[in-house]
Amino acid sequence: MGVLDAQLVPAVDGVAYGLLLFVVASGLSLAFGTAGVLNLAHGTLYAIGAYTGAELSDGTWGGLALGLAAGTSAACAAGALLSLATAPLSRRGHLAQALLTFGLALMGGNLLVELFGADELPVRIPEALDASVSLLGHRYPAYRLVFIAMAVLLAGAGTWVLTRTRAGAAVRAAADDPQMLATTGTDPRAVHTGVLAAAGALAGAAGVLGAPIVGPGPGTAESVLMLSLVVVVLGGLRSLWGTLLAAVAVGEVQTLGVSLVPDWAPYLLFAAMAAVLTVRARRSALPEPGGGAGTARAGTAGAGTAGATATAIKAARAFTAAAAPVRRWRRPARTGGRYAGRARGAGGATGRARGAGPFIALCCLLAAVPWVFDAYSITLAGYALSLGLVAVGAGIMTGYAGLPTLGQTAPFAVGAYTTALLAQAGWTVGPVQLAVSCGAAALFSAVTGPAVIRARGTTVLMITLAIGELAGTAIGEMKSVTGGTDGIGGFPPAQPLWGAGALEGESAVYGYVVVVTAAVLAVTLVVLRSPAGKLLTGTRTAEERMRASGHPVGRYLLLAHIGAGTLAGVGGSLMINVQQYVSPADVGFEIAALALLAAVIGGATSVVGAVLGAGLIVFTRDWLSASWPGHGPLLLGALFVIAVYALPRGLAGIRFPTRRDGPRGTPATTPGNGSPDTPPSAAPSAPCSDSSSPSSPGSSSSDPSSDSSSDESPARKAPS
Amino acid sequence: MLALSGLTAGYHGGTALHGLDLDVPAGTVHAVVGHNGAGKSTLVHAVAGLVVPASGTVRVAGTDVTGRAAHRIARAGVGLVPQGRRVFAGLTVAEHLKVSHRPHRSPGAGSSAWTPDRVLGLLPGLAARTAHRGGQLSGGEQQMLALARALLGSPRVLLLDEPTEGLAPLVVQQIRELIATLAAEGIAVLLVSPSPALATDCADAVTVLTSGRVTAHMTGNTARAHPEKLREALSLATP
Repeated sequence: MGVLDAQLVPAVDGVAYGLLLFVVASGLSLAFGTAGVLNLAHGTLYAIGAYTGAELSDGTWGGLALGLAAGTSAACAAGALLSLATAPLSRRGHLAQALLTFGLALMGGNLLVELFGADELPVRIPEALDASVSLLGHRYPAYRLVFIAMAVLLAGAGTWVLTRTRAGAAVRAAADDPQMLATTGTDPRAVHTGVLAAAGALAGAAGVLGAPIVGPGPGTAESVLMLSLVVVVLGGLRSLWGTLLAAVAVGEVQTLGVSLVPDWAPYLLFAAMAAVLTVRARRSALPEPGGGAGTARAGTAGAGTAGATATAIKAARAFTAAAAPVRRWRRPARTGGRYAGRARGAGGATGRARGAGPFIALCCLLAAVPWVFDAYSITLAGYALSLGLVAVGAGIMTGYAGLPTLGQTAPFAVGAYTTALLAQAGWTVGPVQLAVSCGAAALFSAVTGPAVIRARGTTVLMITLAIGELAGTAIGEMKSVTGGTDGIGGFPPAQPLWGAGALEGESAVYGYVVVVTAAVLAVTLVVLRSPAGKLLTGTRTAEERMRASGHPVGRYLLLAHIGAGTLAGVGGSLMINVQQYVSPADVGFEIAALALLAAVIGGATSVVGAVLGAGLIVFTRDWLSASWPGHGPLLLGALFVIAVYALPRGLAGIRFPTRRDGPRGTPATTPGNGSPDTPPSAAPSAPCSDSSSPSSPGSSSSDPSSDSSSDESPARKAPS
Repeated sequence: MLALSGLTAGYHGGTALHGLDLDVPAGTVHAVVGHNGAGKSTLVHAVAGLVVPASGTVRVAGTDVTGRAAHRIARAGVGLVPQGRRVFAGLTVAEHLKVSHRPHRSPGAGSSAWTPDRVLGLLPGLAARTAHRGGQLSGGEQQMLALARALLGSPRVLLLDEPTEGLAPLVVQQIRELIATLAAEGIAVLLVSPSPALATDCADAVTVLTSGRVTAHMTGNTARAHPEKLREALSLATP
């Protein structure tokens, strides 16, 4: 009884915290489940509400009411704007939209700091609520109890709207089949905007009301987003009750957990998330478990209908569509060379020679850097190469294997810390550092791989995010080994070879980095061009067919994961040589997002493109922002936004803008072919027809989602 | 009621329908038959606004709706029963009716607006299943639900895309009767089907579509009196 009694306050705190998360997360879940937008700016919407509420709070009821009205409206408007921003991307899959919202979040965060300052704002609640009440013999803040009541009211109202009203039914219908909703006279885009605006309003209201619990500050947006993601993942998208349960559980972990088992609390959340996702992915025979499928059957738990299944497959396919268009835009030598069935006399040899061009050009470009730039820029270039290797790994996972990953920072961290610790212990020979770091990263990826490769689509993002966060948390916690948040530094520089002198000066380090990177990239290119690359492409585009043909798909994906991890490990080792220092900030969530963006900017399946993408990112974040201090996130966010809009197929897609368009579109619409009679969204979900090869460009016509890149897509309606 | 002129449409920049002219007066059933890939669904989608026509015009009750968004065309009085039914798997029958009911829409002159009660009266099979979700219904029930969904917009033009596909003979018979009933209500019905049997049974006019072009046209009476003519046109139409 004593223990129970002592834990009562944290337990009630956990409920309040959990309900706060529930209101925020239900907005996130609504936006993803029914509008298909994985809104990484959702935390920023909360921050908008929190800042507005704090700014207008003056200790009176009027101030609270005004703050609530203003904060909710502001976040609601921001949500509607997000809907407008993502609408042009609706046929491009979730990844493009997620990256766009992440860019907007970076920009929004920067603007908020600019408007309200970099300090946490104090919040003044009405005096009547600023007291404490007696709760089973304990003093407890009245505001939190009132907040609990408010959150329950909000939740109840939301559930009622979604399950009992015409608008709620329209929202669920739009999630199911927006075209059919349109044929009943309801504009699905209006529903989309309404959903994101409502999600924004929920986040804003939570921000205003929750400001006394999770106050407005520079880190608010990210931590709220992370916790909401955890809640959505744990609760699943199907039921608000699941979300509620998960939210309260997360709240309790954050309060009761910290109070009961302080040493384990940091790990509990993401470990629980990883465990739930892994178990769910294993249980499901589908490519995408229902929980992450984007079918919000809110309030109707257990709706395992055929439609849900179809939507799940659609969602999974739509997700990888972000990578799919890229595949068609790659140089023909790789995708089409062997299988396209076109007259291609010179065959593979010509293709290989032509494909090597960009790589050789990249090498020349890299070799020229020390002669052109100053010391700082050379260091940045070296760092960009290490990040580029992570991006190449992310590209292999995303573009080849179809598993978009936010977890490549984990093997990156393993490689970096391994090298740092080796150097600290006096092992300064470069190849030894590289070999051990690679091995450690590969081992790490082999161990974590089984959790990743069972899932598909958005769930992969979530699982890998959890792995990345867990690794980051572990690094932060193991202070004796890793130095905690202070990081490790002050170790001797590496030697490029046994007996050689230590690498002194930026140019020497850069030269070492370039040589290692070039060698690793060459090996990567050779492997990807070998049948191994084709097997991965086949796995992504037609997994069931690959399985049916006897291919051990899981083994391929695991090998891809290990390969990607090894690349990240090399990147980590090189980063240590460049920076001579590492801290958890070097391997955080933002770096993971950057690596994924670099891969997407590059073109997802282009190795050279990914490296160039990483260069562009580092250039924007570190070099460009040096001339405009304090606006790094703004510039970076702008880069995200521009890249998503302007480079739908990445850098690798720039080269063949029109040549590949004709031959792809025409056969699909040749009269008598059969496909014009079938609307893409009603097309069978399993890839069928074309049996020539999963990796041939033509096979993309059997994948409904991959039609998304076409501007003349049937679902694209008239200018409305 | 529905007038198409020079309608050209397709997917991915290619063309599946070449300059189609078609006129469906109110209260009549016009059947378009053709093989797979003849452009039948493209026709339906172009009228419903799911595909933007490359050229030509679509007029509904005299109003040019060409190029409008699907929901605006629906509000102009076009109802669609799509191929494959495409009911909302997660919504109950009652919710389907709620979502698609447009009480403020005025139907054409001489007919009264459709309400959920009236639709359920016409389709008694659905009345018993209002609490079931779309995904739990049988194929026939889903077809009825798709029809109910289209009717609740009080359409002047009803587009039926292969309405008997994959259904039991008894249900097919029911649908034939329903089509006649709806035409008698003054609705212009455009029926698209690969089956000449359905077309001859209930159509006032029959058009044969081949590779996106009209290759034969006859009245319903001719098609009924000389079914071999239609068959001939269709077998000639083999691509």
